[in-house]
Amino acid sequence: MEDKGMEKIPVMNGKDQRKVLFRLLAYAKPHKKTISIAFGLLLLTTIGDILGPILIKIFLDDYLTPRNLAVEPIVMLAAVYLGIQIMNVLVSYFQLLSFQKIALKIIQQLRIDVFSKVQSLGLKYFDKTPAGAVVSRVTNDTEAIKDMFVTVIVTFIQGVFLLTGIFVAMFILNAKLAFFCLSILPIIFMIMRTYRKYSSVFYQEMRERLSQLNAKLSESLQGMGMIQVFRQEQRLRDEFGEINQKHYMSGVRNIKIDGLLLRPAIDLVYIFALILVLSFFGVNSFDHAIEIGVLYAFINYLDRFFEPVNNMMMRLSMYQQAIVSASRVFKLLDDEALAPQQTIVAGAAIKEAKIEVKNLSFSYDGKRDVLKNISFTAEPGQTVALVGHTGSGKSSIINLLMRFYEFERGDILIDGNSIKSIPEKDLRTKMGLVLQDPFLFYGTIKDNIRLHNEALTDQEIVNAAEFVQADQFINKLDGTYGHQVVERGSTLSSGQRQLVAFARTIAANPKILILDEATANIDTETEEAIQIALEKMRKGRTTIAIAHRLSTIQDADLILVLHQGEIIEQGNHQELLGKQGLYHKMYLLQNSTAERVEDAVGS
Amino acid sequence: MRVFLDLMWYFKQEKSAYISGIIMLLVVAFIQLAPPRIIGIVVDEIAQGTLTGAGLLKWIGILIIAAILMYSLRYYWRIKIFGSAVKLARLLRNQLYNHFTNMSQAFYQKRRTGDLMAHSTNDLQAIQQTAGLGVLTLFDSLATGGFVIVAMATTISWKLTLICLIPLPLMAFLTSWYGTMLHREFHQAQEAFSSLNDKTQESITGIKVIKTFGQEKEDIEDFRKQSEDVVNKNVKVAKIDSLFDPTISIIVGISFFLSIAFGSRYVLNGELTIGQLISFTAYLSLLIWPMLAFGWLFNIVERGRASYDRVKTLLSVRVDIQDQKDALDIVPSGDIQFSVEKFVYPNETDSVLKNINFTIKRGETLGIVGKTGAGKTTLLKLLIRQFEGYEGDIRVGGRSISSYKLEKLREAIGYVPQDHFLFSATVGENIAFAQADASQETIHEAAKVAYIHEDILEFTDGYKTVVGERGVSLSGGQKQRISIARALLMNPEILILDDSLSAVDAKTEEAILSKLKQNRTNKTTIITAHRLSAIQHANLIIVLDDGEVIEKGTHKELLQNNGWYKDMYYRQQLEEIVEHGG
Repeated sequence: MEDKGMEKIPVMNGKDQRKVLFRLLAYAKPHKKTISIAFGLLLLTTIGDILGPILIKIFLDDYLTPRNLAVEPIVMLAAVYLGIQIMNVLVSYFQLLSFQKIALKIIQQLRIDVFSKVQSLGLKYFDKTPAGAVVSRVTNDTEAIKDMFVTVIVTFIQGVFLLTGIFVAMFILNAKLAFFCLSILPIIFMIMRTYRKYSSVFYQEMRERLSQLNAKLSESLQGMGMIQVFRQEQRLRDEFGEINQKHYMSGVRNIKIDGLLLRPAIDLVYIFALILVLSFFGVNSFDHAIEIGVLYAFINYLDRFFEPVNNMMMRLSMYQQAIVSASRVFKLLDDEALAPQQTIVAGAAIKEAKIEVKNLSFSYDGKRDVLKNISFTAEPGQTVALVGHTGSGKSSIINLLMRFYEFERGDILIDGNSIKSIPEKDLRTKMGLVLQDPFLFYGTIKDNIRLHNEALTDQEIVNAAEFVQADQFINKLDGTYGHQVVERGSTLSSGQRQLVAFARTIAANPKILILDEATANIDTETEEAIQIALEKMRKGRTTIAIAHRLSTIQDADLILVLHQGEIIEQGNHQELLGKQGLYHKMYLLQNSTAERVEDAVGS
Repeated sequence: MRVFLDLMWYFKQEKSAYISGIIMLLVVAFIQLAPPRIIGIVVDEIAQGTLTGAGLLKWIGILIIAAILMYSLRYYWRIKIFGSAVKLARLLRNQLYNHFTNMSQAFYQKRRTGDLMAHSTNDLQAIQQTAGLGVLTLFDSLATGGFVIVAMATTISWKLTLICLIPLPLMAFLTSWYGTMLHREFHQAQEAFSSLNDKTQESITGIKVIKTFGQEKEDIEDFRKQSEDVVNKNVKVAKIDSLFDPTISIIVGISFFLSIAFGSRYVLNGELTIGQLISFTAYLSLLIWPMLAFGWLFNIVERGRASYDRVKTLLSVRVDIQDQKDALDIVPSGDIQFSVEKFVYPNETDSVLKNINFTIKRGETLGIVGKTGAGKTTLLKLLIRQFEGYEGDIRVGGRSISSYKLEKLREAIGYVPQDHFLFSATVGENIAFAQADASQETIHEAAKVAYIHEDILEFTDGYKTVVGERGVSLSGGQKQRISIARALLMNPEILILDDSLSAVDAKTEEAILSKLKQNRTNKTTIITAHRLSAIQHANLIIVLDDGEVIEKGTHKELLQNNGWYKDMYYRQQLEEIVEHGG
């Protein structure tokens, strides 16, 4: 059971990475003002940091070494030094905070963008993308980007500022030595590049192993019942252990690469820089006296120099991760599998709710047609039922009717207007769909009936529930309408969930009712009650219904029998029975004991 | 620090790695003292003009040796200590997983998958940190700190050392305090994030509903609000997080100031040389890390302890369904006698089953019908021992099911659950789930009986098509039939279909049922259904209502009763009779 569906992340070249980075940075634009203030504060902090050693240098060279003990200037120096320190505390606090705030705002915007994009995608997208992956895009990937903004970018900017400042100070103190010290930069740069090259691969690998590990664990937890019933505990343990082992191996590899190229390497470079400075002063001292204060300042700057370098190195893996995440997020943002768009025609609206399907053909994959030249009409208030074997195309008709998928061939008209030209709002409010798998959200029963429609009063909700006889079981729950529905409503039976979904649809009071095998999961007794409710509802509403059980649609005005995407029989129940065709056969199969019952009733 | 004691069993187990790692740490901490000392000596020699070319070369040589030694030791202790920590995470992860496989359904009913996942990821992460970074920090900060202070006090000036150390504990205290606050706020931020995650998850799973009701905008607004909450909670984190750097820099700044101010006086009165003063400041900067580390240590250890406690608690949850001491090592077969007086789900008060008594002979078919929530699935869950703790007895072949080894009991049972769960694997692997080495013929045979063979052949990769969370989406009926094939592959003594035909149409249901009849001679079958047609031919039908048997008998007998069954049957049939013209 390998995770064959694991998303493979294409290796990005430098150019692509930069592109992603710039696109990310573009999100900072609306915050220009705050950002410039933050940069101003950062500049102040950096200057403060740089001035400290210089002040001490002045003290060492001008006062301490020559034993020049003028009280006033020394006190001044001390006061300035302490003043700068205190100022720096305040300024750097606000500087750090504002950078983090900006980063958080940027990520929020990115998140909302991704979420909105997800909402605008067509169901086609969700068919090919597992829900978990989409959720990851919206939350985990943006979280990785947040980490980059908050720590990486801020660390880099601060690091670059400080390094520049240190070099400026070094050049002022001793240009020649500063020039020698510049030679550290290419070495560090090389280490960084090597580290990035290898760690990006190893780190990526570890992330992938971790996500495999988590996927395996999560699936096992969800399917534990099955694993146990089928006595596969040991096999799954072995499989998990294997993935765990691989994860461990890549963990160790990461420790090795970190050990070789991170802190230990930078510390090594530090000592070489120290050797450079000492030899420079040592050799110079053979010819003439040197300023000890300058030596002190250089050593002190070297100390400070390597801290930001270490920080930046440690953040590199995060950068890599964020770029990968960002590229995934942007890929989603650029996805063109949008929900079908409406080209609105003035005056197109749903009034009477007459539905005409004309020569409709459709294919999901562009290869195999699931609907072939379907035509039928549902007059206002009529019920049209779709029956047929699984895969006959019933659900596809509903998917097109609901505008979940775009179609090119043929048309669907409501009150004479193509459904492509009716405003989406009109479509959504006037067409009510009840699915086979009712989906309940986390929240109360009331929330689940109301959804986001704040205009509904509590009384209307109760009325809707009563209408579908859902009130009986709701009133038995703790807190009745305020009962908390847990994850996907798993404490309610599927029939009860369906009842809530019915109430939800009825509360929205649509003109058109679409039932997608809505009665498949309800026990016969509840269904009996729901049949009555549905009958009430169907009055004044045009209804399209899919049903497995033919008994539930016998009073339909028109029954279409579909087979492999084609209508092969149509008529009302009686007519179809009279034809002795497929419908008749299906009917007999479902009711094979009819004669015996007849006998029983007759006797 | 108690967590180190808790983890002692592991440290002992990995004794050699930890001891060698720590020794290397100590050596590095000692060598670290050389560079500042050398700086001081060179500065003094420069100041006094006594530095010679050979002298300079000697010091540089020593520095180079020290650098190379430190580099290699630093590399190796990382492998030893961090490597052991990763190993611990691997070990605990396997233990957790194994433990999960032993837990009964009662356990999973109480806990959310997300929480269990969190223990296996975040908590293990925190424990790994404790066993790696925590151990490192403890020894490194103590050793480096100790060595440096001793070096400062003995080789330079104990007075100056005392003076400069005054502000440093404040740093350790403050950073540790911030750490605690940060942890708290961070926790809040994590919670906000996780509810945003839940929200997203739900919106995506329920996307069809949202689209149906045209509520995309409202849902985005809801998301915006929640993401705002995430921002606010994170700003709180940032407010504390931003305290660290300024605090450290001011305290270090003051310490430096003190060392220069007082050090200068000692230089002036001849107690110190300038070189020593510069050495001293270099030592001082070596002290920053151990101080900070000490602050972190408390946080790492505290988090590690909380996580380890949680993992330990989880690991110590008793395996509640266990084999009896001398459990029978045979696969049960024979008649099923079911007599349960009362069953209540753990942590609930209402009984789900009351006075259920029936017997089915080997090879017979039992049908269970009743309203949704009547207790049909619960009854089956007791039979397969997913739950225990009922009053009464369930016997197979004359012996109580708890007297068999659990493994053997389950070997006898092929279960098709109501919520057909498929794994992320190929269709073939899913069908062969109970017997991974099953031949292709066996798999195809099972698929044919379950009426899914033809469908599978039409998938893009046939039996190699990946299904489940990451695979192709299947219709409910297809999933049900694959689940049926999975159970049939075992050719089980007892086959249980828990409302497993609900999503297949009448034609397929009929076909599957008649195939089963041919295939399962002398084998017991239990079917629960909403549709009476699925159980009509059963040898015994029981009707459940609110956990009680209200009717019992064959189809024929039940039709004689003036009960629910007959009523339901008539309701289903009556309309047709009317249709037929009465």
